[in-house]
Amino acid sequence: MAEFEPKIVAFVCNWCTYAGADLTGTSRIKYSPNVRMIRLPCTGRIDFMLLLQAFGQGADGIVVSGCHPGDCHYTSGNFHARRRWMLFRRLLEFLGVDLRRVHFAWVSAAEGAKWAELVNQVVEDVRKLGPYREFPRRLAAADSRAEVA
Amino acid sequence: MDTLQTFASAKLAAGEVKIVIGYQAGSDATRARPAFVSDTAEAASLIYDDRCRQNLAVYLLKPEVRAAGRAAVVCGPATLRTLLQYAAENRIAADAVVAIAVDADGTVTELADLEAVETHVARQPRGLTPEQQAEIDRIDALPLGERWQWWSRELGRCFKCYACRAACPLCYCSRCITDVNQPQWIPVAADPLGNLEWNVVRAMHLAGRCVDCGSCAEACPQGIRIDLLNRVLAREAVVDFGVAAGVSRRKDYALASFKPDDKEEFIR
Amino acid sequence: MSRIGVFICHCGENIGATVDTAAVAAASADLPGVVHSVDYKYMCSDPGQNLIKDAIREKKLSGVVVAACSPRMHEPTFRRACQEVGLNPYLCEMANLREHCSWVHEQGEATTEKAADLVRVMVEKVKRNRPLYPINVPITKTALVLGGGIAGIQAALDIAGAGHRVILVEREASIGGHMAQLSETFPTLDCSQCILTPRMVEVAQHPNITLYTYSELERVEGFIGNFRAVIRKKARSVDESACTGCGACIQKCPTKKIPSEFNADLGPRTAIYVPFPQAVPNKPVIDRDHCTYYRTGKCKVCEKFCPANAIRFDQEDLLVEVEVGAIVVTTGYQVAGAAEFGEYGYGEYPDVITGLQFERLASASGPTQGVIRRPSDGKVPETVVFIACAGSRDAARGRDYCSKICCMYTAKHAMLYRHKVHEGNAYVFYMDIRAGGKMYEEFVRRAIEQDRVRYVRGRVSRIFERDGKLVVKGTDTLLAGRPVEIQADLVVLATAMIPQPDAETFAQKLKISYDEDRFLSEAHPKLRPVEMNTAGIYVAGACQAPKDIPETVAQASGAAAKVSGLFSKDELSREPVVAVVNRCAPPDFSTCVGCFLCESACPYQAIEHEEIRARDGSAIKTVAKVNQGVCQGCGTCVALCRSKSIDLQGFTNEQVFSEIVIL
Repeated sequence: MAEFEPKIVAFVCNWCTYAGADLTGTSRIKYSPNVRMIRLPCTGRIDFMLLLQAFGQGADGIVVSGCHPGDCHYTSGNFHARRRWMLFRRLLEFLGVDLRRVHFAWVSAAEGAKWAELVNQVVEDVRKLGPYREFPRRLAAADSRAEVA
Repeated sequence: MDTLQTFASAKLAAGEVKIVIGYQAGSDATRARPAFVSDTAEAASLIYDDRCRQNLAVYLLKPEVRAAGRAAVVCGPATLRTLLQYAAENRIAADAVVAIAVDADGTVTELADLEAVETHVARQPRGLTPEQQAEIDRIDALPLGERWQWWSRELGRCFKCYACRAACPLCYCSRCITDVNQPQWIPVAADPLGNLEWNVVRAMHLAGRCVDCGSCAEACPQGIRIDLLNRVLAREAVVDFGVAAGVSRRKDYALASFKPDDKEEFIR
Repeated sequence: MSRIGVFICHCGENIGATVDTAAVAAASADLPGVVHSVDYKYMCSDPGQNLIKDAIREKKLSGVVVAACSPRMHEPTFRRACQEVGLNPYLCEMANLREHCSWVHEQGEATTEKAADLVRVMVEKVKRNRPLYPINVPITKTALVLGGGIAGIQAALDIAGAGHRVILVEREASIGGHMAQLSETFPTLDCSQCILTPRMVEVAQHPNITLYTYSELERVEGFIGNFRAVIRKKARSVDESACTGCGACIQKCPTKKIPSEFNADLGPRTAIYVPFPQAVPNKPVIDRDHCTYYRTGKCKVCEKFCPANAIRFDQEDLLVEVEVGAIVVTTGYQVAGAAEFGEYGYGEYPDVITGLQFERLASASGPTQGVIRRPSDGKVPETVVFIACAGSRDAARGRDYCSKICCMYTAKHAMLYRHKVHEGNAYVFYMDIRAGGKMYEEFVRRAIEQDRVRYVRGRVSRIFERDGKLVVKGTDTLLAGRPVEIQADLVVLATAMIPQPDAETFAQKLKISYDEDRFLSEAHPKLRPVEMNTAGIYVAGACQAPKDIPETVAQASGAAAKVSGLFSKDELSREPVVAVVNRCAPPDFSTCVGCFLCESACPYQAIEHEEIRARDGSAIKTVAKVNQGVCQGCGTCVALCRSKSIDLQGFTNEQVFSEIVIL
């Protein structure tokens, strides 16, 4: 049987982590292809519901990453995000969600290598945990507008 | 000393308020129901005892009550906190409500404005009951997998009647996220994902705002301890950010503020 | 029905060698809504762009996905190409097949599969894209400069010189600020007033500059391009238009012993006064707190002697409303006060003075006409001790920062003293010498080597008086902490530069941010050093952080360049990636409930209150409204909004949600 390939969804801000991942590319640093990135302007834009949604769509692990404190393109979006994550993590923990499936990071536009390491590590960790079967899936019919013409 | 009834009657007679929101005896001896008294004669039917657990502040935002004019509300500690949170969230004007605070010993105090409410609330003890604390500790102590299974079973019993939403004084959105279908954030059906998402969203939307009244769990026909989700987050906000909801009429929302040195040991 | 075109770029070998681009194009062709899918060697080349343009025209595409390099690289290129053939540029998205795929993964199925996924996600997003149009905000081409020190003067002159109107507001009776108080300036030792006063005169005479002295900002509202400010013109008690500045009133004023602020309390002034002889405007004010008439109701000597009948005892504050498009904040600094330096005897011993007081002693226009005389008895001091870092870099006083200018002005002071008193001894106690800057290090070396100023590395623990001398006790840390004791005649403290005492309330008035030391916070410490976070407000000088004159002037010119850039167009055109509060049919009008929790989360104060009114004018509800001139599009409010009533154009909930659903 083929080894389990985890599906990792990454929510990243445009100015630091997305650019940092660009630098990973420019530096030709190789990392696991298991990650899919969702680009948003700022970590402040990242709604916790999007994370649940990613799990509901079959993600086995999630990465959320943005600018280091003090570096936010919008000055304080990441500070607001950080507070939201604090509470969201506590809630997930209380509900029994394995927090090893949800990773938060600061990856700057200069940290191409850190991005590659982060992705590789999360992929390996989640690979060990196995597929996230416990999490309920979103049924296709649940979306009234699954198909947009 | 004024009794609740004479007090309400006097306020109505003097025309200071048009309506008194309080409790009346319910359909059986174990229940109380909300009363909307606008006539001095009816004031005699008001009661206040252990049965009166519902947070009556929720009615202040109803158009029918608003239309009635200035209201007085019979308030336990949590209802007083709700009034402050309402002021912080632009729900009520500073002088729109007279709070009739009933303390644990039955003392009736008139709190004519929100400043008085703030002072009164600051003197009230607040915290988890031993039962609540024990239940949270019990759940936290469960091994991860069991904890997940326990909640999955509990939330699996939810059939999305939204009684929790109706009972919660802070669920006052004119359009709830559950009613949004572009995108369909939360599946309509009471399926496992829909139930989980609804309860997570409710907890998160109340995080930093919940005043600990417990009306959600009181209202749940399935007896699911959804209040614990809110209570856990309320404590977390106090521990992490030093911010509690319902203590001030000024806006101090934990999730709309920050300190540069907020905790972040969980971030790589 | 969507008609999406997908364009897969090989980027030569960059993508082509790792990703099976033909397979990705084929897979994309089968996606619902995709009507055109091709791959090509270089999409960014002219023929590549033409492929896209031709397809838009021929296949009537409603959206375009270019799967190539990072959007941070070529998104503008492809969006422009779309626009050229009439497709709204915001209907074009890029999938990042190079930086995020081919360059970081090995050739193989998994990589090609990921590439196809990335395209699929973008196809789903672009289906939900809406045409967006740049946001145009009209601009009032007048700048309000707050603070008439060298920063404000420079900014005002630069903006006025670029042809725009400027309103310069100064709190004191004259412009000039601290620079007017300085004797000579480092490292050139040119006289401060000699280089400053021509600028002051230029301000007064410039046809584009309206000057309000003895005035303060009362309040401000509005946003970039469209501010409305109210200026309080404090009552001068003198009719400026009638006054000729002859000075008769000042000569006759009987109240003559008020400590002169300009001379840092080292000399007297009268109750009706101009701060200093070269003041601009050269029109006196009456200090009502000290004036005999205002205190006792009797005197009016000035009125009697005024040949122009310009005295107005009944004058009242005047509120002036102005409309401006940009605001430059140049409110400057103060030096730390006496109360802090108990151990140095400041305030107790008259001969322990601040650096600013020494400037006045050394200045030809000062109370001693430039002869260094100590305040207590007017003797020329034989030994002077200068103490650097008095209050700066001192966590115990709650001030960790370096005041930056003290090393240089202390060297200058010691040098000036040695030039003026050839036999005198000058000692400098210092922690480190920070002399970064053009000719700065050379200047300090000159003080040490040519002018033989004795530098002692160490801190002073105590100063006390003994036998008519100030005994300075310290340690020399370069000599293993050997105790040092110097009998001085004058001690000069290089006190810390601190924000204006009302910096906090002032910042709140303007809704701009400030740091823990109460200095104003620029929008970005590196890349936006002269802008505030609130669009349309700029900053220069020591109100932002301690800095010297060259830096202040450079920053002021920078701020002026930003303002001139803003004023170079009639309308400000902004990216439409901004938040929008929804609107819906009556009776709701918007699903926003008006809790305004988003208001405090917005880093830009872009959330406003909007009253929705019925036809008869009665208020229905108050909802949030995003000021599109101010919003920068971070989306923090969007994630916070419980009822999902705010959305971010370009990254809408629907778009992002669909990206996840398709994963």
